[in-house]
Amino acid sequence: MRSLLAYIITRLLLTIPMILILLTVVFLIVRVMPGDPVIAMLGPKGTPEMIEQMRHDLGLDKPIISFGLDNQYVDYLSDLLHGDLGVSTYYKVPVWEKIRLYFPATLELTIFGLMIAFFVGIFSGAFAAEKRKTVADYSIRLYGIAIYSIPIFWLGLMLQIIFGVWLEDITGGRFAFPIAGRISARISPEVITGLFVLDGIITGSWKQVTNSLFHLVLPAMTLGLVLSGIFVRLTRANMLDVLKSDYILSADARGIKRRKVVYRHALKNAFVPVLTMMGLQFAYLMAGAVLTETTFSWPGMGSYLVEAVHYRDFPAIQGTIIFIALLVASISLVVDIVYAFIDPRVRY
Amino acid sequence: MKRISLKITILALILGLALFGALMAGCEKPAPVDGPDEPMEESVIIIGTTDKVTDLDPGEAYDFYTWEIFQNISAGLLTYEPGTTELVPGLAEEWPEVSDDGTEYTFKLREGLTFSDGTPFNAEVVKFSIDRVITTKGDPSWLVDDFVDSVEVVDEYTVKFILKDTFAYFPSLVASVPYFPVSPNIYPADEVVTDPSELVAIGPYKVESFVREVELVLVKNPDYYGEPAKNDKIIMKYFKDATTMRLAVEKGEIDIAWKTLNPTDIADLKGNPDLKVVEAAGAYIRYLCFVCNGDPFSDKILREAVACALDRTSVAEKIFLNTVEPLYSMVPIGMWSHTDSFEETWGEYNVEKAKELLAELGYNEENPFTFELWYTPTHYGDTESDMALILKQGLEATGVMKVELKSAEWGSYVDNFDIGNMGAFLLGWYPDYIDPDNYTSPFALSTASDSMGIFYQDPVMDEYLLGAQVKTKMKDRTALYEDAQDYWAMEVPTAPIFQGKLILVTQPDIAGIKVAPTMIFNYKTVYRE
Amino acid sequence: MMGKKHRAEWYIVVVGGVILTVIIFMSVFAPFLAPYDPLASVGDPFSPPCRDYIMGTNNLGFDVYSRILHGSRTILLISITAALFSATVGIPIGLMSGYYGGKLDRILALVMDSIYSFPGLILAIVMAAMLGPGVINISLAIAVIYVPTYFRMVRGQVLSVKEELYVEAARSIGARAVTVMVRYIFPNVIASLAVVFSLNVADAILTEAGLSYLGLGLPPDLPDWGIDLAKGKVFVPLGTWWIVTFPGLMITLVALSFTMIGEGLNEILNPRLKEH
Repeated sequence: MRSLLAYIITRLLLTIPMILILLTVVFLIVRVMPGDPVIAMLGPKGTPEMIEQMRHDLGLDKPIISFGLDNQYVDYLSDLLHGDLGVSTYYKVPVWEKIRLYFPATLELTIFGLMIAFFVGIFSGAFAAEKRKTVADYSIRLYGIAIYSIPIFWLGLMLQIIFGVWLEDITGGRFAFPIAGRISARISPEVITGLFVLDGIITGSWKQVTNSLFHLVLPAMTLGLVLSGIFVRLTRANMLDVLKSDYILSADARGIKRRKVVYRHALKNAFVPVLTMMGLQFAYLMAGAVLTETTFSWPGMGSYLVEAVHYRDFPAIQGTIIFIALLVASISLVVDIVYAFIDPRVRY
Repeated sequence: MKRISLKITILALILGLALFGALMAGCEKPAPVDGPDEPMEESVIIIGTTDKVTDLDPGEAYDFYTWEIFQNISAGLLTYEPGTTELVPGLAEEWPEVSDDGTEYTFKLREGLTFSDGTPFNAEVVKFSIDRVITTKGDPSWLVDDFVDSVEVVDEYTVKFILKDTFAYFPSLVASVPYFPVSPNIYPADEVVTDPSELVAIGPYKVESFVREVELVLVKNPDYYGEPAKNDKIIMKYFKDATTMRLAVEKGEIDIAWKTLNPTDIADLKGNPDLKVVEAAGAYIRYLCFVCNGDPFSDKILREAVACALDRTSVAEKIFLNTVEPLYSMVPIGMWSHTDSFEETWGEYNVEKAKELLAELGYNEENPFTFELWYTPTHYGDTESDMALILKQGLEATGVMKVELKSAEWGSYVDNFDIGNMGAFLLGWYPDYIDPDNYTSPFALSTASDSMGIFYQDPVMDEYLLGAQVKTKMKDRTALYEDAQDYWAMEVPTAPIFQGKLILVTQPDIAGIKVAPTMIFNYKTVYRE
Repeated sequence: MMGKKHRAEWYIVVVGGVILTVIIFMSVFAPFLAPYDPLASVGDPFSPPCRDYIMGTNNLGFDVYSRILHGSRTILLISITAALFSATVGIPIGLMSGYYGGKLDRILALVMDSIYSFPGLILAIVMAAMLGPGVINISLAIAVIYVPTYFRMVRGQVLSVKEELYVEAARSIGARAVTVMVRYIFPNVIASLAVVFSLNVADAILTEAGLSYLGLGLPPDLPDWGIDLAKGKVFVPLGTWWIVTFPGLMITLVALSFTMIGEGLNEILNPRLKEH
C-alpha cells in the first residue's frame, strides 16, 4: 500500500501537464477568433495610427508562435506565471479585478445550489431505496433521469413565471420571489467576502441577509434541482447496496428501528461516493451556473463570460476560461486526494 | 407510511418556520421615500441605468453616459440650458468674442472659482486641459485636435482659442466634454486616467463615492457657481440588464429608470397607474448605409428604390413599440433645419414607387432585385435581428426584391467598412456635438464618407455641407442644410430609418426632469413633490 | 436474456422511442403540419393560446406552434450531426491509440482527459464564438466536446480486449492491424456505442439549446427553440408564459426521449450485478 504522500505528489505532477494543455487550448482558440478586437474597441472612428498603436500596446503585432521567445504564446505563459490575466478591452479594468468582483457571486449561488441538490438528491434517493419497487421508487427514479433532461435555463424561466410573476398576481402584488439580481437596489450591500449572506451575518445587517436569501431562492433552486438528479440516482444505488449488507441485516435482526438504521448508518456510507461525485460534477456545475446566471441576471462569472464573448473582449474570455480551468483542476485534485485519504485502495 | 421520526419532524418544522420568517422579513414592500438610513430632511433621488462607466477622463471618455457624469459634476465654458439645445455661458462669464474671420474665440472666465480639490480655476487650467486632450490622443481627442490649433492664456481669467479654420459650430464643440477643464492634480498632462484617485468637481454635484458597476453617489456641491440643485443627493444604481431595472422601478426600489429599458417593458409600464413615463426626442438615429462605389448600389436608382420600401412604421411599432419615431432625414427631429425630405420626396412607405423605379432597370416579379442586407447582432441591442427581419419583409412585400440577411459581429462589421463587401448595412449614430453638421458630413462629405464605408463623392453635396460649415449666420446655414437634406433624399448615400426617443419611467412623485436632444440629463432640476 | 427481468427498462426504451418518433415525424412534415409561416407576422403580437394560434404568438406576431414544428428540424439536425462528427473522429482515434499504445497513446489520453474534465458548455461557447454563426459551425463547436467521450470508451474497450487470446491469435496469423481493430475489437464496442450515442445526442441537444439561448450562432431566419427562449426571457415580466413554456417543453421532451432510450438500453445491455 503506497503512502498518501506519494499519491498526492503523483497526482499533482499529473495535474501540471493537464493544466498546461488546457491553457494552450484556450490560447489557441482565443487568438484565432475572427474580428479584430482592436478595431472593435476603437470603432469606425479609429485612425490607422491609433489601431497600430493599440495593437502594439496589446502585443498583438508579435507572431503567435515562433521558435524564439518573442511571440504571443510565450508572452501569454509568462504573464500567467506573474498572475497577470490582462486588461479587459471592453471594461478597461484588469481581468483579475473583474473575476475577483464576480466570482463570489457565482460561489454563493453554487454553494446554495449544491446544498439544495444535496438535500433533495440524498433524501429522495434514500427514500426511493427504502421504498424499493414501489410507485414512489419508480417516480423518483424517473425524476432522476428526467430532471437531467430539462434545460436548466428553461427550468429557471418557468420558476420565474410561476413563483415570480404568477405568485405576485395571485397574492395581489404583495408577495413574490425576485427573479433578477442578487439584492434589492435599495440596499447598498456591505461587502467583505463578496458572499452577501455571509457578509450580512458578519456585519450584522439582518436586512442584507434576508434580502440576499430571498434573491437566492429561485436561482439556487434552479441549479440545485437539475443537479439533484444525479445525486438521487447515485444515492439510491449506493443505499441499495448498503441496505443489503450484513451490517444492516444484523441491526435489523436486533430489532433496531428500520428507519433509524437507514438514515443513520446507510446514509453515512453512501455519503462518500456522493461527495466525490460532487467534485466530479463541478464542471457541470460551472456550465449550469453560466446558464442560470444569464437567466436570473445574476452578476457572476458566468454572466461575465457571456458578456465578454458578446463584446469580443478576448482578454476577458481568456482570463475567465483560464480561471475556470484552474478551478476545475484544483477541485478534482482535492477530491481525488480526499478520496484517496478515505479509501487507501485507490492510491496508485 | 411508517411513523416519521419525531426529531426530524421538529427540526424540519423549525427550519421551515425560520426560513419563512426570513423570507417575509426580506420581502420587498414599496420602501419609504427616503433611503433606509437617511434623515428625513435630505432629498435623495435614486436613478437606475444599464449603461456602464468607461474611462473617467474627459480626454478619453467617448460615450454619452460617462459624459453625463461629467456634465453633472463639472461644466464647460459653454453649456446647454437644461432641456433645450440652447447654449448659454457656463464656466465662462459671457458669450465669447469671435474674431472677424471666425478663427479666434476669446472667453472671459468666471472669477474666484475652485475645483473641489482646491485647485483654482483660471485660464492656465483651461489651456492645460485642452493641451492635454491633444497630447494624450484619447478617443474623442479629434473633437479638439481637428479644430483647435492652439490655446493662448491672455490673462488670469481670459483665454483665447485659435482655430485651424472657420467652424461655425465651434460653440457646440466647446460645450462637449473633451473641452471640460480638469484639475492638473489628478489628470497628468500626458496620460489617460481611467480611475482617478479623486473625482474632482466644479459643477452642481460632488462625488461622495463610486463603486464601478454598483453605484455612484453624488451630493450637492455648495461651491457651485450656478443655481443650486433641487435635490441633495443622487444615487446612481447600475443594473446588469433592462429587465432587472424594470422590476426595480416597478417595485419602487429606484425613483427613476433612465437608459435603457426594453421597449416591451416601457409599453407595459405605460399602463401602470403607479408610475409616470417621461418622453422626449432623443439624438440617436438609425439608418441604412450603401456602398456607393460598388456593386450593386453605385446605381442611384437602386438606392432610391430601397429607400422607398423601408417600412419604418412597422419597425417603430412592432419592434420598438413606439419608443422610437420614424425618421425621414438624417438631421434629427427637433434639431434646427430638419425637414422630412424622404417623406416629401417618396412618401412614407411607397411600394408602387419602388416597383416603378426597379422596372426602369428591368426588375420585376420574375426577375427580382436581389441584394444582401447586413446588420450586427449585439452592438445595437438584441432587437437588431428582429429589425432586420421586419425590414426584409417590408422590402420583399414589393414583390420585386429578394433580400438576404447577413450579419457580422461588431469587430468584423467595422472591418468590413474598408473592404466594402456589405452592400447595404444598418448603422446607428450618437452625435459628437449638437449640430446638423455632425449628422451629415461624416457620411456624405467626400473627405469623410470613405471611413464610414459609404464611399460617396458628389461635388454638389460637398458644396452644401462645406458651405454650411463656414457660414456663420444661422439663416444661411439653415438654408444650406435644407438643400442638403432634399438633395440627400434624391441621392440616398444613406436612408434614415428611425430616431430614438428618450424615455424615463419614474415614481409618481418625481418632477422636474428635463432631457433634450442633447442627450444630457441634468440631475439638478429633479425634485420630489 | 431480455425478458421479464428487464420489463421496466424496456418500457422506458419504448416510451423514449415513441416520443422520438413523434418528434421526427414533426420535423419531417413540419411544412405541412404548420398552419402558418414560422417567419411571418400572422397575428397580433403576444396573443395567448387560442383557437387561431394554439400556442399563441410571440412579440412579432409569429405563430409559436409553427415555430415549434420548424424548430424541431434545427435542433435534431445540429445535435445528431454533432454526435456523428464526434463519433467519426473519436472512435478511430480511440481504436488506434489504444491498439498501438506507447507514448502517443499516453499523450492523447492526457489531452482527451483534459478536455473531458473541462465544462463542455463553456468550451462550446468559446468555440462557437470563434467560429461564428452557422449550422455547420455550431455542430462543430458542439462536436469537439464529445470526442473525448468516444475516445475514452473505445480506448478502454481496446485495452481490455487487446490481450485476449483471440486477438493474439489473429495477430499471430498475420492479420493487419486495421483488420484486427475492425473485425475483432470493434464489435465489442457496438453495444456500448448505441448507449453512448443516445446519451450523447441528448447532451448535444441541451448544449445546442444552451448555445442559441446565449445568442451564439444561428441566424434569425432559422426557427430555433433556444433562440425563442432567449427572446422570450425578456417578456417574462409581461406574463406571456406561452412564449417560453412550449419551446422549453419541447427541448425537454427530445432530450428526454434520447436519454430514456440510452439509459434503458444501458440497463438492459449492461445489467448491474446485483438486482435492483
